[in-house]
Amino acid sequence: MSLTIEKRLAPSKKWMVLSILFALVGSAIASALLLRVTGADVGVAFAAFFDGAFGSSRAINKTLLRATPLILTGIAVTVAFRAKIWNIGAEGQLYAGAMASYWIYFIIGPDIGLFILPVLFLAGFAGGGLYGGLAGFLKSRFQVNEVLTTVMLNYVITYFMSYMLVSGPWRDPASYYAQTPRIDKSVWLPKIMSGNKLHIGFIIAVLCAIAVYIMLTRSSLGYEIRAVGHNTRTSMFKGINIGRTAILVMLISGGLAGLAGMIEVFGVSHRLSAEISHGYGFTGIIIAMLAILNPIAIIFVAILFGAFYVGGLTMQVATGVPSVITSAIEAIILLLFLSASTLTRFQITWKDKT
Amino acid sequence: MSELFQETIIISIFAATIRIATPLILAALGELITERAGILNLGVEGTMLMGAFMAFVGAYFSDSIVIGIILAMIGSALMSFITVFMAATLKVEQVVTGLAVNLLAAGMTIYIYKLFFSGGAGGFPTIDPMPTLALPLLSKIPYIGPIFFTQKAITYIAFFMIPAVWFFLYRTKWGLEIRCLGENPKVIDTKGMSVTVRQYFAVIMGGVLIGLGGAFLTIGLVGRFVPEITAGRGWLALVIVIAGNWRPSGILLAALAFAFLEALQLQIQGIGVTHLPYQIFLGLPYVIAIVLMVLKSGKGRSEEPARLGMPYFRGER
Repeated sequence: MSLTIEKRLAPSKKWMVLSILFALVGSAIASALLLRVTGADVGVAFAAFFDGAFGSSRAINKTLLRATPLILTGIAVTVAFRAKIWNIGAEGQLYAGAMASYWIYFIIGPDIGLFILPVLFLAGFAGGGLYGGLAGFLKSRFQVNEVLTTVMLNYVITYFMSYMLVSGPWRDPASYYAQTPRIDKSVWLPKIMSGNKLHIGFIIAVLCAIAVYIMLTRSSLGYEIRAVGHNTRTSMFKGINIGRTAILVMLISGGLAGLAGMIEVFGVSHRLSAEISHGYGFTGIIIAMLAILNPIAIIFVAILFGAFYVGGLTMQVATGVPSVITSAIEAIILLLFLSASTLTRFQITWKDKT
Repeated sequence: MSELFQETIIISIFAATIRIATPLILAALGELITERAGILNLGVEGTMLMGAFMAFVGAYFSDSIVIGIILAMIGSALMSFITVFMAATLKVEQVVTGLAVNLLAAGMTIYIYKLFFSGGAGGFPTIDPMPTLALPLLSKIPYIGPIFFTQKAITYIAFFMIPAVWFFLYRTKWGLEIRCLGENPKVIDTKGMSVTVRQYFAVIMGGVLIGLGGAFLTIGLVGRFVPEITAGRGWLALVIVIAGNWRPSGILLAALAFAFLEALQLQIQGIGVTHLPYQIFLGLPYVIAIVLMVLKSGKGRSEEPARLGMPYFRGER
C-alpha cells in the first residue's frame, strides 16, 4: 500500500468549503493557544473580541470602516493573481495613490469643496495604477520578475514619502510628527449616516468589487486575464497579447490599491502620514486567497478581517494581550487554508503496489 | 583632510562593506541552495526575521551567544520546514507560501516581543553583541588586517561558506543531485531516489544559513531586537541570487556591491558632507536592484534553474 497524490480533474467544491472551515476553526484553536501562553482568560478575550467587532451598531460601523481599504486591496490583488501575476506591491501602490491624491489636493486646495472628489478619486487610481503599471511594464518588456520589483517598489515609495513628510514640502510645520497638515473639512469623504465614521468609501469599495467581478466574468479583458492565468503559453497561441495584458492588469490592480490609499487619506486619517495603512496591502493578499480570488467573496472576507482588527483592539484593552496577535493569526489562517485547499485540487488515495 | 584621516575613512568604509555583506551573503547562499533544488523560497525575509528574533531571545535569556545562534538555526529551520512542506509535499503555489511565511514571522515575532519585552521601565532590552574577533597575525597586516580580519565570528563563517557551498553544490554527490532537482527532477525519481527528501534537505539547510544571517543582525551587530529588523534584506538576498547568476562567486560579488553602497551611504551621512536627504540613500539599493534586474534580462547565459518554482509530479512531463 502506498499513499499517492493525484490531480483532480476539476476543483472540488466540497473540499473548498471544508478547507475554509478548517482554517477558521484551526486558527481559533491557535489563537486560544497563543492567548493561553500569555495567561489571559481565553473566554474573556474571545468575548471582548466579538463584542468589539460586532457587539453594537458602533462596533459594526468600525468594522466596516476598517474593511473598506481591505476590500479594495483584496480585489486589487485578485485582478493580478487571476492572471498569475504576483503583485506583492499593493502596499506601495496604496501609498502611491494616497500621495497622488494628496498632491492634487495640495495644488487645487479646498476652494471648490466636494467637486474636487472625482478628481481625487481619479488621482488615487492613477497614482497607484502607474506605480503598479511600472512593474507590469518591466515584466512584459524586460521579463523582470514582478514579485521582486513590486516588493522593491514598496520600499522605494516608503522612503520617498518619508522624505516628503520629514523634510519635504508637505511637512506640517506646526506638528512634531512627520505628517501633512489636516485636510480641510469640506473635502472629507461624506459620511453615510451622520454620527458615524463610516463614509461613502465603503460603498465605493463594494461597487468596485462588483465591477471587478463583472469585468472578470463578462468582459473580453476578463477572459484574457483568466486565460493568461490558466495557461500563459496556450493563450499566446490564441492571439492574446500577453505583454499588453500584463501591463493592463497591473494598471488596474495598482489603481484599485491606490484608491484604497486615497480613501484612507480623505475618509479616515484626513491627512497623509506613514500611518495610513496598517499593512492593508499585505492583508489584501491573505483576503484574496481566502476568498478564492472571487471579488464578491472578498467583500465578506474583508469584513471578517476588519472585525479581526477592531476586535483585537478591544481584546487588548480588556485583557492586555497585544493586538498584533491578529496579524499572527491572519498568517496562520492563510497557511492552514493553503494546506487544506490542497485537497480541492488533489485527491489522496491508497493504492496497492503492483 | 589630512592623509591619515582619509586613510582611516577608506579603511572604515571597506570594513563596513564586509560587515554589511555578511547577512546578505548568508541569506543569498541559503536561497541559492534552495533554488538549485527547484524551490523558490520567497519567505527569506521571514525566515531571516525569525532567525534574528530567536537569536536575540536565546542570547537574552541564556547570556550565551552560542545558545542564541543555535536557537536562531532552530527557528529558521522551522520556518523553512513550513516552506518546504507546503511546496514539496502539498505542492501549494510557492509565491503565496513564501508570503504567508513572511507574514507569520512578522506577526509572531512582534507579538512575542511585545509579550515578553514591553512594559519594562528600562526601555528596550539589550544584550552584549558578539565581540570582535581579531585574527592573530592576519589582523596586523596593514590595510588588509583591519578590513578583513578584524570582524565578528559570523562574518568569517559567511565568507568561508562561499567556497564551502560551491564545493557542496559542484563537487559532492548530494550537491549534484540537488542541482539536478532544479533542472530535471525526473532523473532523480527514475533512479529510485527520493525527490522529496532531497528537497527537504536543501530547503532546511538553506533556511539555517538564512537564519544565521538574521542572527548576525541582532546578536552580531546591535545587541537588540527591533520589529522588522531585517528591513528588506531578505528580499535583497533574492535579488543578489539573480544578480549573481545562481553561482556562489557571483553572489559574493553582488553582495559586496550592495554592501559597499550601503557602507558608503553610512559614511557620507556620518561625516555629513552632503545635504541630500538621507532617504535617497536608504531607497537607493532597491532602485539599483530593479535596474540590475532590468540590465540582466536577456543578457548572457542564465543559470536560473529550469524548474524553479514548479512542483514535481510523478508522471508529468
